Amino acid sequence: MKLLEVEGLKLYYKTLRGPVKAVDNVEFTLEKGETLGAVGESGCGKSSTAIAIMKLLPTNVEQYEGKVLLDGMNVREFNEGEFRRKIRWKRISMVFQGAMNSLNPVLKAGFQVAEPLIVHQSMNKKEAIKKAKELFKLVGLPPDFTERYPHELSGGMKQRVAIAMALVLNPELIILDEPTSAIDVSIQAQIMNLLKRLKKELDISMMFITHDIALASDICDKIGVMYAGQIVELGPSENVLLNPKHPYTQKLIASVPLLRGDRTPEFIPGAPPDLVEPFKGCRFYPRCPYGKDEFEEKEPPLIEVEKNHFVKCWLYGDVK
Amino acid sequence: MSSYLRESLSEFWASKISKLGVIFLLIVVAVSVYTIATFPLDYGTRYWNNPRYWVDNPKAAEPQWINYFLGDKKLGHTVLSTNMPIKAYLSGGYYLKFYSVSYDLTVNQFPTFINLKLEDVKYHTRAPSATIFITRPDNKTIELYTLTIESPVPNEVPPYIRYSDEPKRILLSGEQYVVPLRLSNYLLQEYNLSRTPSEVIEIGYKKIIFGEITEEDDFQPLKGTYIFNLVLKARQGGDLIGKTTFIIGGQVYGLMGTDTLGRDLSQGLLFGFPVALLIGFAASFITTAIGASLGVTGGYIGGRVDNVIQRVSDVANNLPQLPLLIFLTFVFGGKLWVILVVLIAFGWPSLVIVVRSMILQVKSASFVEASVSVGASKWRIMARHIFPQVAPYILSQMIFFTPSAILSEAALSFLGLGDPSIPTWGQILEYGFDHGAVYLGYWWWILPPGLLIVFSAVTFVLIALGLEPVVNPRLRRRR
Amino acid sequence: MDLQNIRTYFYVRKGFFRTLTVRAVDGVSLKIDQGEIVAIVGESGSGKTTLGRTALKLEKPVSGKIIFEGRDITNIKGDIKWFRRKAQMIFQDPFMSLNPYMTVKQIIEEPIVVHNFDEKERKRRILKALSDVRLLPSDEFLPKYPHMLSGGQRQRVGIARSLVLEPTLLVADEPISMIDASSRAGILFLFGEIQKKYDLGVMYITHDIATAKYVSVNIAVMYAGKIVEYGPTIEVLKNPLHPYTTALMEAVPDPDPQNRFRFRKVVPGEPPNPISPPTGCRFHPRCPYTTETCKKEEPLLKEISGRRIACHYAEKIAK
Repeated sequence: MKLLEVEGLKLYYKTLRGPVKAVDNVEFTLEKGETLGAVGESGCGKSSTAIAIMKLLPTNVEQYEGKVLLDGMNVREFNEGEFRRKIRWKRISMVFQGAMNSLNPVLKAGFQVAEPLIVHQSMNKKEAIKKAKELFKLVGLPPDFTERYPHELSGGMKQRVAIAMALVLNPELIILDEPTSAIDVSIQAQIMNLLKRLKKELDISMMFITHDIALASDICDKIGVMYAGQIVELGPSENVLLNPKHPYTQKLIASVPLLRGDRTPEFIPGAPPDLVEPFKGCRFYPRCPYGKDEFEEKEPPLIEVEKNHFVKCWLYGDVK
Repeated sequence: MSSYLRESLSEFWASKISKLGVIFLLIVVAVSVYTIATFPLDYGTRYWNNPRYWVDNPKAAEPQWINYFLGDKKLGHTVLSTNMPIKAYLSGGYYLKFYSVSYDLTVNQFPTFINLKLEDVKYHTRAPSATIFITRPDNKTIELYTLTIESPVPNEVPPYIRYSDEPKRILLSGEQYVVPLRLSNYLLQEYNLSRTPSEVIEIGYKKIIFGEITEEDDFQPLKGTYIFNLVLKARQGGDLIGKTTFIIGGQVYGLMGTDTLGRDLSQGLLFGFPVALLIGFAASFITTAIGASLGVTGGYIGGRVDNVIQRVSDVANNLPQLPLLIFLTFVFGGKLWVILVVLIAFGWPSLVIVVRSMILQVKSASFVEASVSVGASKWRIMARHIFPQVAPYILSQMIFFTPSAILSEAALSFLGLGDPSIPTWGQILEYGFDHGAVYLGYWWWILPPGLLIVFSAVTFVLIALGLEPVVNPRLRRRR
Repeated sequence: MDLQNIRTYFYVRKGFFRTLTVRAVDGVSLKIDQGEIVAIVGESGSGKTTLGRTALKLEKPVSGKIIFEGRDITNIKGDIKWFRRKAQMIFQDPFMSLNPYMTVKQIIEEPIVVHNFDEKERKRRILKALSDVRLLPSDEFLPKYPHMLSGGQRQRVGIARSLVLEPTLLVADEPISMIDASSRAGILFLFGEIQKKYDLGVMYITHDIATAKYVSVNIAVMYAGKIVEYGPTIEVLKNPLHPYTTALMEAVPDPDPQNRFRFRKVVPGEPPNPISPPTGCRFHPRCPYTTETCKKEEPLLKEISGRRIACHYAEKIAK
């Protein structure tokens, strides 16, 4: 059953140099209990996609359109008040990048997790703190840690608090933006295990944003590879990781230094494009080893190469 | 470095605030330059504080341009001089010389005073006498006054010169003996009105001289041309008056009016421009120089030097400014440099603290460490790496401190702790308040200096605000 | 470079009278030969960065010896400019390590200006450095400011700067961790080229154990200020003997779609606070094989099958 369907999502920012097409016609679906990975390098639009879904728009938005269907309802069209009451944090919540640094330093950790309960469900403080303690147990923290302040917690613990905060109103979908990027590797493994456990126990749907495709393989059922504001490849993890079709995906996987394998890592010359410049045709063309001149003329469509496996590349279609 | 300068300038210029600030600054600088070029440097002591220079002006007069807004126009101030007689002839053994000026009364107001000034009188044998009479537009004549030039003193040789260092001034409208008598006679003669000299004083000379009687037994101004005549009755043909001046007092004067001493406020206000700039820049530049160098030294060297600088700044920061200023004024007298010293002494500590913390922050940047690992000397690192990072902030602080200095000086002058020998806006305000300008509604005396203080402060604030995005890259709009 | 039993502590003032000792590096000995790359791998608090900085005399050790090219430079007084010429550092942050107000030319030129080379020599060295890091044509890059370059390019400027004095030892502190994934291999490849070309000794500091494999000949795994395992990289990664090394490797995923069905074997807990490390073996609170001995006695580095391991039970665990 499809929980989330995103169609034609666009988010352009207004800047002094011109409009930045951060999210340019992004489409994907997510089933209940499924984890989707949004993988890409800095500036590809993965964080902006999350912001667009959560409607946490900045003030300099130039264009914002498309469909975000939650159980068939286009929640993108809700006004701010309605979205805040019905959707944000209740049905879709988010763990932000550097979430551990966005905990309020003067409030106790437990209270910060309990706060949404007090605000949205009008629970009294005692009840809410009790629920917070349950959540702490769920994310692997001792319940009495609710009394601690953020500076009394380590990085990994703070991240668990952030995850607990995102889970407090029992959302159906939780978006995690680089949840482990500022954490030591050994703690990262602990957090990934926690997410796997939550996925199994709560049957929760997740959108996992990361620049590390190996990390994505650790939890995602479906992977969408993003480049220059667009999804260039989307499909089940098995397909995308073992049989990548888009040259960028192939290169991205090839650039990972393998701990257990023996392949020499590759690199892609050049840099991702400036999102202000207008695009002609395929955006990866300047760096693509298989590019042909005509690829520069028209933007390639999303082509289904296998069941549920889509690629945005002229190599699999006909430019004419 | 120059590309950064270009980028910074374009960033600065991007906002309307900066453009406005620069325009204001250009105005202030232009006026200051003009003032310095046209005014003597000792203007304060020579003219402003010299009441005799202003004696011919009306007191507490409004600016001339308010006449644009009034239906019933006010009277302008007129100063009429002549150095040649219009006619001269011999009569009865005396040489009669007529020194005359013509005055047009065009508005429905009475002049506020009549003053006579004689300069450079020369005679050869006996001291001459002078009679003043006025011919009115309705052809009535009023004989007003007679005066005698001082006789020669023993051991004085002809030609006898009088009133060359110091002009002779007679306030005809304030004279209490001869004039009322003459006016009383005039009233009887021309109007068949019987009024005693005391009653004449009661009515007021100007009404009688410049007015005609209405039905209600009051006077109404008579518009038209009046001729003021001074007839010199001399013994020798060569006796003469160098300059005869009649001053017919008006109700309005000049560009910005006058104060109770008759001082032309436009001059005082103009002089305030360069003084404000000087105080503002001098105070802020020296304060910034001291504060920034101490901050950089303390932050960079650290250790005991840093501790000492910090403690000294703390103490200086907590000294009470006003009592100290009063004390110093008491000891040294109210002088401009005293104010400057106080402003500087109290300004530098706050800069030390901020600059020091900025230095500490920059010190920990990896490019500084990179220079250390390359073997660069401490001086090189300070000059090439650390200082350029804080320089923009220091510059903007300097600009921000300028209006503060200007306002402080104005406040101190206003409290009477300023330098009375130099007209500043604060001084003008102080004098005004002291002389009841507020209660008497002398708006032209209070509002302009106040507005100018605000204007000059705002100028620098706007520039400092415009500099903010340059100084703090996070606020930049581009990129 | 020969580091002998280095201890580098930091002192933090807490409150008015108390001073806490941060034992960043607590007894580390390491040798780097000319032409050898040694990877120092560890998480936060392991002391790897401090070790690198101590080796370059950017931090002063509390005890131990630093011997460079045969000379004991630990307590050398006065001018160490000759040392600075021979030992250079590459920094982690490509933006913060370049002065934003200086052009590429000025940045790369600075070391040779400080060491008073003449004009001709300067030009030669700058061009050589730029071509080594493949930032050509030089006319295009020299007048640029850091903010006009990509992260990868900036890091290359940093490398060029470190090469321009023709050093013999390089300490690279996480040089690729702040660069986009697709550009990392490029920098690594370049790095390897340069090292081979000039036969440089390199201390390569990283938290990413996978990159160590492609860069280094020998690897030292650090935990809580000490080396827990040292040996040839390929051997250590094929067959880790210290429980921490094993845990570290387990924690890193390779891209494999089957990963999501398996829970990773993780050790519980977090790296310890360098102010108050655990007694005995510092890894004992997290180690799956802890015994009483581990809690009381600190294990010393022992030679086992061509490696050095700091663990009481290394051989037993291996079997």
